[in-house]
Amino acid sequence: MEVWEKVFLDDADFLQDTHGKVGCVICHGGDSSLEDKELAHVGINADPSDISCDTCHSDVAHVNALSLHTTLEGFKTALETRGCDFDEYPEMNEVFENHCDSCHTSCGQCHVSRPDETGGGFLSSHEFRETPSTQYNCIACHGSRVGAEYLGENEGIPADVHWTQETMTCTDCHGEELHGSTQDASTRYDNPNAVKCEDCHEDVWTNTEGNPQHEQHLSDLQCQVCHSVSYKNCYGCHVSIDEEGIPCRISEASQMDFEIGYNPIRSSERPYKYVVLRHVPTCSDTFDYYGSNLISNFDTLSTWKYATPHNIQLHTPQNESCEACHGNSDIFLTEEDIRADELEANQGVIVEEIPSP
Amino acid sequence: MKKVAYLLFAVLIPVVLILTGCNPSPEVPGEEVSSCVICHSDKDMLQQAASAEVEQVSEETSGEG
Repeated sequence: MEVWEKVFLDDADFLQDTHGKVGCVICHGGDSSLEDKELAHVGINADPSDISCDTCHSDVAHVNALSLHTTLEGFKTALETRGCDFDEYPEMNEVFENHCDSCHTSCGQCHVSRPDETGGGFLSSHEFRETPSTQYNCIACHGSRVGAEYLGENEGIPADVHWTQETMTCTDCHGEELHGSTQDASTRYDNPNAVKCEDCHEDVWTNTEGNPQHEQHLSDLQCQVCHSVSYKNCYGCHVSIDEEGIPCRISEASQMDFEIGYNPIRSSERPYKYVVLRHVPTCSDTFDYYGSNLISNFDTLSTWKYATPHNIQLHTPQNESCEACHGNSDIFLTEEDIRADELEANQGVIVEEIPSP
Repeated sequence: MKKVAYLLFAVLIPVVLILTGCNPSPEVPGEEVSSCVICHSDKDMLQQAASAEVEQVSEETSGEG
């Protein structure tokens, strides 16, 4: 998108809606009586979400203030669990500001514009959209893994059936959870409003008759164990500042893989023994450019993490038959799949004994 | 008596209409278009005024994060 295009009002229809009638200056500041561009823009706030939306949408805005999209607590939780001490090592604040902090979003960056992180720009003139764009909002940020999986952009891997058969968009499943979670939510799965397969597929739980796999496994296998296929795993991310002074990131080539392991976040909501695990790009020296040993307790959190790949299929290689899964060492996470320096971190998710045929 | 009644109606009806805001020829306020909208809907003006965007993505960045 060209710079001018990002703020171009190609139609003025939005002036007729409630937001348009409020006028520009009320939300954005500046002085609309001046013709000089620079003077008119003094004090302008391009994204006034924090101060304006709350005025009329306080119910949603207050909840959204606690959402992980706003707080980025998910990042902080993972970093602090791995021993990153923001108080003792001020370098960590620099790391966070340079490489993590821009990954949040605001009301406007979902309902009016594309996210700043992806360059910004109006979705459609200055139209307020109750439902964000799957392409320009959700996948703009969540594209490299979930988006690519869902749309079938990974070579040789089919798109998710919810897309190919029903053309469902992100918000068809993900609703309230996007605005809020609990006050002390620390990960994306720490959310009572999180979408569950059974929200739509209740019949699978209420009637297992005629489906021996469901009869046997509904309580101990996450749905994706049987119904997802190979997904993207990332490795070896290192962050730094380049010669131009711009934050940069170099990571190894991602790998398509499918690994079943023990559930690292087993709870009453997710009681499954086995889940699919995705490798995250973090490694013990990810932040070494900023200082040594900033990740002081790397082994306290697995690098193979609970995952919900978005490439759901009715039929998958592992659910073809009992033998396709039982005894199949290729699809279970074992010590041979783990890098030597990550063995300790992943002890809790490595499958010690593959279910026998 | 009829004359008094007609006179009363003749006086009361306009008074009621005025008090309730009815106006046989209402004045439509001129639509005020903000100068923000004038500039931001002028494609040529925006193209001329746009400053070159500073590239904030490092060329050294590689791989998926």
